[in-house]
Amino acid sequence: MRLVWLLALLVLLVGGVAGPAFAKDLVSSERAEDLSPLARADFAEAHLRHLLERAGFGASAADLARFAGESPKAVVRALSRTSKRSQRELPSFDHSGVFEPGLDPFPGSRPATTNLAKANGRALGIEVKPGGNRPVQPVVNEFFYWLRASRLETDRVAYWWANRMLISQTPLVEKMALFWHGHFATNEDKVRDYRKMLQQIELFQSVGLGDFRTLMIAVAQNPAMLNFLDAGVNVKDAPNENFAREIMELFTMGVGHYSEQDVREAARAFTGWNYAGLEFRVDADKHDEGQKTFLGETGNFDGVAIIDAILQSDESATFLASKLYRYFVREDLSVEFAQRLGREFKALDYEVADFLELLFLSKDFYAAQSMGSRIKPPVELVVSTYRKLGFEVVPGVPDFNQVTGALGQRLLHPPTVAGWSQGRSWITPSLLFERGNFVLDLVFPDIGFVPPDRYPNYGANIVSVQKRLRAGEDISSATRPPGVAAGEDMAASNQLADRDEAFNTRYGTYRGWQMAIERVKPIERSTARLRLSQRVAAAGLQTPIAVVEYFSAQFFSVPLSDLEKQRLATYLEAQLGTADISATATYAEEALRSFLHLLLSLPEYQLG
Amino acid sequence: MDNAPSRRHFLKSGIAAGLGGMALGGTAPLGALEVANEDHVLVVLELSGGNDGLNTLVPYGDDAYYRQRPTLGIKPEKLLPVDDHFGFNPGAQGLHRLWESGDLAAVHGCGYAQPSYSHFTSMGYWHTAAPHSGEAYGWVGRLADALAPGAPPNYLVNVGAGQSLAVNARHHVPVVFDDPATFARDALAHQRPLLDSWFAPGQQSAAPTSNPSRAFLREVAKSARNSSTAIRKAWEGYSSPIDYGIAPLDLPKVAACIAHELPTRLYYVAFRNNAFDTHVQQGPLHQRLLSYAADAIHGFVRDMQRLGKGKKVSVLVFSEFGRRVGENANGGTDHGSANLMFVAGEPVQGGHFGELPDLLDLNPEDNLKHTTDFRRVYASVMDQWLQPGVSQPVLGKAFEPLPLFTGVS
Repeated sequence: MRLVWLLALLVLLVGGVAGPAFAKDLVSSERAEDLSPLARADFAEAHLRHLLERAGFGASAADLARFAGESPKAVVRALSRTSKRSQRELPSFDHSGVFEPGLDPFPGSRPATTNLAKANGRALGIEVKPGGNRPVQPVVNEFFYWLRASRLETDRVAYWWANRMLISQTPLVEKMALFWHGHFATNEDKVRDYRKMLQQIELFQSVGLGDFRTLMIAVAQNPAMLNFLDAGVNVKDAPNENFAREIMELFTMGVGHYSEQDVREAARAFTGWNYAGLEFRVDADKHDEGQKTFLGETGNFDGVAIIDAILQSDESATFLASKLYRYFVREDLSVEFAQRLGREFKALDYEVADFLELLFLSKDFYAAQSMGSRIKPPVELVVSTYRKLGFEVVPGVPDFNQVTGALGQRLLHPPTVAGWSQGRSWITPSLLFERGNFVLDLVFPDIGFVPPDRYPNYGANIVSVQKRLRAGEDISSATRPPGVAAGEDMAASNQLADRDEAFNTRYGTYRGWQMAIERVKPIERSTARLRLSQRVAAAGLQTPIAVVEYFSAQFFSVPLSDLEKQRLATYLEAQLGTADISATATYAEEALRSFLHLLLSLPEYQLG
Repeated sequence: MDNAPSRRHFLKSGIAAGLGGMALGGTAPLGALEVANEDHVLVVLELSGGNDGLNTLVPYGDDAYYRQRPTLGIKPEKLLPVDDHFGFNPGAQGLHRLWESGDLAAVHGCGYAQPSYSHFTSMGYWHTAAPHSGEAYGWVGRLADALAPGAPPNYLVNVGAGQSLAVNARHHVPVVFDDPATFARDALAHQRPLLDSWFAPGQQSAAPTSNPSRAFLREVAKSARNSSTAIRKAWEGYSSPIDYGIAPLDLPKVAACIAHELPTRLYYVAFRNNAFDTHVQQGPLHQRLLSYAADAIHGFVRDMQRLGKGKKVSVLVFSEFGRRVGENANGGTDHGSANLMFVAGEPVQGGHFGELPDLLDLNPEDNLKHTTDFRRVYASVMDQWLQPGVSQPVLGKAFEPLPLFTGVS
C-alpha cells in the first residue's frame, strides 16, 4: 500500500517538475508567432538539435560536433549551401541499363499495347511473330518486362535518394526535395518510367531551394508531371482540365480562390504542352492561340503567363508559405499569421531558402509550441534513426522501401496527386505498431528476409505459374488462377483475365519478371551493424540510468518522465544481470539492442 | 428533353412495382423498423476518384446518353439489363447479380448544391456530410459518437493505409489497420511486461503533457493495445470459399471481423488512391475497375449470408462525384457532379430510388443537377438501419427518408 502511494507521489512530482522545467529553459525569450531572430546567446544545444531535426534528418554525434558553438545562421547556411565538393561527395544514380529506345512512348495499358501490335505488326520495338501460337506474346512479355523493370529500378532510385539524405552535408537540400516530392506528387505507378521520376527528383534537388517561380515553371514542363496530369492530351479544341486544375488547387493557390471558368481558361493556355522522352516540347499546332480571360485579365496567355498571374495573387503566397510553415514548424497557425507569412514570402520574391532562413532563425521556431510537436513522416523517421545511429549507408535489411511503404510513405509512390497528408494522419493504431516493429527489424534483422527485388512476393501467383510450367503443363492450364475450378461461381474479373488467344497475360507477367530481375542490378543487402556496446563504452556510461539518459537525449525531442526512465533502467539491469555497466562490455550488445527497441517504441519517439 | 416525362414515369412505376405500391418518400413502413437493431452493422465503401455513375448503371433508354457520349456510350447489347431503361456496365456483373436477387438499391442523382470539382474538397464534403463548411469530424465518426457516447473499444473500424476523415470522431478512437496479419506489436517475452505496462488501463507512467501531439500519440497507443489482438485473431480464424474477385478491396477483412463477432457496428473501407479518376481512355479501364468493385461487393454480401449474417449487415457505396455527361476528347470524362449511390445487402429494398437527372438540362459547368441530397441517403441508412432518429443530431437537420430497407428485425 505504501509503495502505491510512493509511486503516486512520484508521478505527481514528475508531472509537476519535468514539464515546466523543460519549458522554463526555452520559454523565456521565445514566443510563438514572433518572427524576429533568436538571440545567439539563447541558442542552446536543445535548439541546435531541434534545428537539425527540422532542417535536416536529425542530429548525429558528428553533426553536433560539427556545429558546436556556431550561430543559428551559420548552421542554416551550412545545411543548405551546396558546393562543388559537397556535391562530389554525393554519388549520382547508378543506372542498371534497363531502358531501350523502343519502350518510349510507352502505351497506356496492356490492351493499348496489343492493339498497337495487331495494327502495326510491332510495338515496344518488338515484332509480332508471323505465325504460330500466341504471336503477340513477345510484345506482351516486353510490356510486363518494362513495368517490372521500371518499378524495380525506381526502388533503386529510392535507395539512392535515401542514402543522400543519410550522408549529405547539406541535408536541407534533400529535405526540401522531399517536401517538393510531396507537394508536386507524381507516382511511378502511373508514369511508368523510372528515368522521368529520377529526373524530377534531381530537379527538386537542384532548384528546390531557389525561387518558386522557376521551380513551378520547371515542374510544369517536367515530363513526369506532364505525364502524370495528362498534359499530353490537353490540346486545342479539346482542353483537358486535369493539369490546370491541379496547378491551381494543389500547387499554388488552394481551392476556393479561382472559378471553374479560370480552370478552363488556364487549361487552354497550357494546350500543346507535351514531352518527348525526357524533353519538354510544345506542340505548336495544338496550342490554343486565342484570347483567354484568367483571374480577371485577358490576353493570349501561355502556360508561363498563367503561372505568373497565379503568383501575383496574395492567396498563392499565403497558401505556399503556410504549407512550408506547417511542414517545417508546426501544424496550427492562425489566418492572420498565415497571411503575414504570405506577405513575407512574397516580399522575398518567393525565394525558398530565404523564407526558410527567416523561419529557422525566428523566436517562433524555438517557441515551446514548436519544439517536439511534429510527428515525423516515415522517411524522416527511418533516415533520422539511421543517422543518429551513425550509419554511413542505408541498410539493405530491412528493405528501406518495404519499411517506409508499410509506414505509409513509399518514395516515388505518393498515394494521390495531393501527396502525403502530414501530421496526425501518419499515425493510426497499426502504423504506430509498425513504427516500433521497424526498430525491432533493425536491431534484430529478420533471419527469413527475402529480397523483394529478386523474389516476386507481390504480383499474383508467378511462382506457381513457373512450377506448373516446369511440370510440363501448357501455358493455358499453368496460368489458370489457382483455387478456381471449372464451373465454380467465378467472379467476372477472373473470367476476363485471359480471354485473348493471341497472347497470355499471366504468362507475360511471369516472363516480364524473369527478364527484369536479369537486368536490374540487385540492391546491396547488408544488414546494419549497430555496435551499441562500443557507444556505451566510449561515452563512459557506468549505470543503467546513465545509459537510459544518454540514449533518450540522443533520440528524443521531448523529455521522458523519470518513472519511464527508471523502468527502462530496471529492465536493462535485469537483462545485464548487474548495475555495473562497465563489467558487461563483452556481452551487453544484445541487451542494449533489446533496450533500444523498447525505448524507441515509446510513442514519444514519433515526435521531432 | 422530349423523353424526360416518360423516364420519370418509368422510374416511379419501377419503384412502385418494386415496393408493392409504396410511394416515394412514404413513411408508412418505417414504424415497423423501430425495433431493436443494436446488432445491425453498416459497412461504408468509398470509390475514390469519382466513379462514372452514367457508365455504371447506364440509362440506355435515354437517347441523350448516346448523343452526349458518342464513343464512350456503351451499346445496349453489351449491357447487363435490369429493365427497359437501365443496364449495368458489362464489368459490373457482381452488382447485376445483387440486383437480380433484390439485394441492391440504386439511388440516382445524389449530390449537393454548388458542387466542387476538386477530388479532395468534394470527398471532404462527403466525408463530413457538411458541404461548404469546415467540419472537422466525419459523419461516420459523429455517428459512432451518437450511437455509443461512451466510446466502447472496437466500435468503429477503418481498414486503410491511413485514417479517413469520414471516421474522425470526438469520442471514439477508430481502429485503423491495413494488414490484419501484421496488426501487432512484435516483442520478445522479456520485453512484453514493460511494453504492456505503458498503455494498460489506469497506468500513469507518462508525464502529464501540454503537448497536443504527445497526448494524441498516447491515445492512439491505447487504442492499438485494445484492438490489435482481436483483429489479428479474427483474421487468423477466417477463410472463405466465396470468390471476391481479383481485387477484393478490404471487404474480406471486414468479413473476418464480423465472423469473429467483434462489437464493431461501423466499418469504413475504400477502393483507394483515386482509382476511378478516368480522364483518359476510360472504357476498358473503367470496366475493369467496376468489375473489381462489383465482384468484391457481391462476394461480401454472399459471404455475409454464408456466415448467417445476411440480415444483419448492409453496405453503402458512394464516390465523391460522378463524371461529366459529355465525354472528353481523350476517350475519358472529366470531373462531374451528381452521381449514383448504392445500398447493398439482404435487408435492402432492391430497386431504383431517387431520379436520374435530365441529361440535357445541365448546370453552367455542363454537369448534372442533383435530384437527391446525398445526406438524405446517409440519413435513411442511419435511421432505418442503425437507430431511429439518430440522423438529425449527426447531420444537424432532418432529411426526408427514402425507404431503402425492407421490414427488418
